[in-house]
Amino acid sequence: MSGIYLNNAATSYPKPDCVKELALKNINALPSGQFRSAGVSDNGDIFLECRRKLALILGVEESERIFFTSGATESLNTLLSGIGVNASEIITTVTEHNSVLRPLYNLPGIKGEPMLLPCDKEGVVSPGHFEDLAKTGRGKVLILNHCSNVNGTVQDAEAFGKIAKKYGLIYIIDASQSAGCMRIDADAWSADAIAFTGHKSLLGLQGSGGYYIRSGIPFVPMKYGGTGRDSEKLRYDGGDYEYETGTQNSLAIAALSEAARFILERGIENIEKRESEIRQYAKKRLSEIKGIFVFPSPEEKSGPVLSFSSEILPPSDISYILQNSYGIVTRSGLMCAPLMHEYIGSGKKGTVRISFSIFQKEEDIDSLCEALKEIHGDNG
Amino acid sequence: MEITGRRRSLENCTESGWDAFDILTGDPLSDEDILSLRVMEGSFLYLKQLKKPFFKIENHDYMIKGVKGDSFFRFAVHRDHLSEIDRLISLLS
Repeated sequence: MSGIYLNNAATSYPKPDCVKELALKNINALPSGQFRSAGVSDNGDIFLECRRKLALILGVEESERIFFTSGATESLNTLLSGIGVNASEIITTVTEHNSVLRPLYNLPGIKGEPMLLPCDKEGVVSPGHFEDLAKTGRGKVLILNHCSNVNGTVQDAEAFGKIAKKYGLIYIIDASQSAGCMRIDADAWSADAIAFTGHKSLLGLQGSGGYYIRSGIPFVPMKYGGTGRDSEKLRYDGGDYEYETGTQNSLAIAALSEAARFILERGIENIEKRESEIRQYAKKRLSEIKGIFVFPSPEEKSGPVLSFSSEILPPSDISYILQNSYGIVTRSGLMCAPLMHEYIGSGKKGTVRISFSIFQKEEDIDSLCEALKEIHGDNG
Repeated sequence: MEITGRRRSLENCTESGWDAFDILTGDPLSDEDILSLRVMEGSFLYLKQLKKPFFKIENHDYMIKGVKGDSFFRFAVHRDHLSEIDRLISLLS
């Protein structure tokens, strides 16, 4: 691609060279199928390997309790439909993506509406508000968006976990924006489940992702079918369910495994540090442009996402001009997180979002800022 | 201006709540082409100072926008007013 890509919160680009090479190698290799890879021995068990690496990234001891899906949306639908709780018994936040909100409002068999925790102007949700609600005993589940895909705000997942544990709530973390680019410690945070996607900061391909669910949490699969094991068994009587059915996306899982290796080798803390540097640089440069307003988020608790608006044009026009006049890819609008905008003050038209990857350069930000200065007639 | 086709915009999400289409033109948009779009009612914005000038015509029911030199422009329209696209094409032909 020629141009500048600042839409990594949607899908990361480019991918590491090793991931591209691995994907190419695997598309030419004999197909691997979980528990049914007769004749394929040179790849090892890509499923097992990928689970092990993801467990390290997510801070999970039980790697065998990580299950693959097509991405976070399928993961969240699966978790929400499988835990057997009505929406009216679920506490969540206004910062959630529609991958949480729409299942809660539409999944068959989930009755009522969720209890929504508000956020402040920076997108921060108060653990204290959660505790007030948890005390009432009305909630059985907490779903927390770890890192906002709108302004990058990172919630205090550990504090929420302590409260959820104290009051006996099942604790689900949506790590779509955080997995791969910041420390996650699911076990230490008492998380019972985590949903993640492979194609954002985990640097894998679209169509990959998964979830972790702690053993002992009652959980019914959303899909049934062939698994490559116990083919004679038609009915699961003892709750001994299997959660990965049908042919898995082995190419994307192999790529995800390689991407996870890359992330672990590079070091999550190094990735977080570098992306934080770029974010701070962008925030500073954007704040200096006349007519640009950068939406605030906590300096020390933000992921690689930043939102801004313009005094002279709506977000969709800014993104259109940046893309078609300057070759700079951003994202604008509500970013599928419709409830948060009222709280951070971005209204019905949303924001312009820029989001970074480990490969981002300061020069990319400089080009963006030059374009925005030209659009706003800022000759300073 | 010759209209050669239309396609649903790949960025439909951006124009939240509206349907967005890209209207394809036979040649790159010129100043004259852009001004001819003013047959459609609405406020007109033309940022000529940009490296590639940007224009927008907007009213309550639809929004037309594009960049000089591109071989398409965006038509975002409220779902109740999809017929406005056909009206524009017939006015231009």
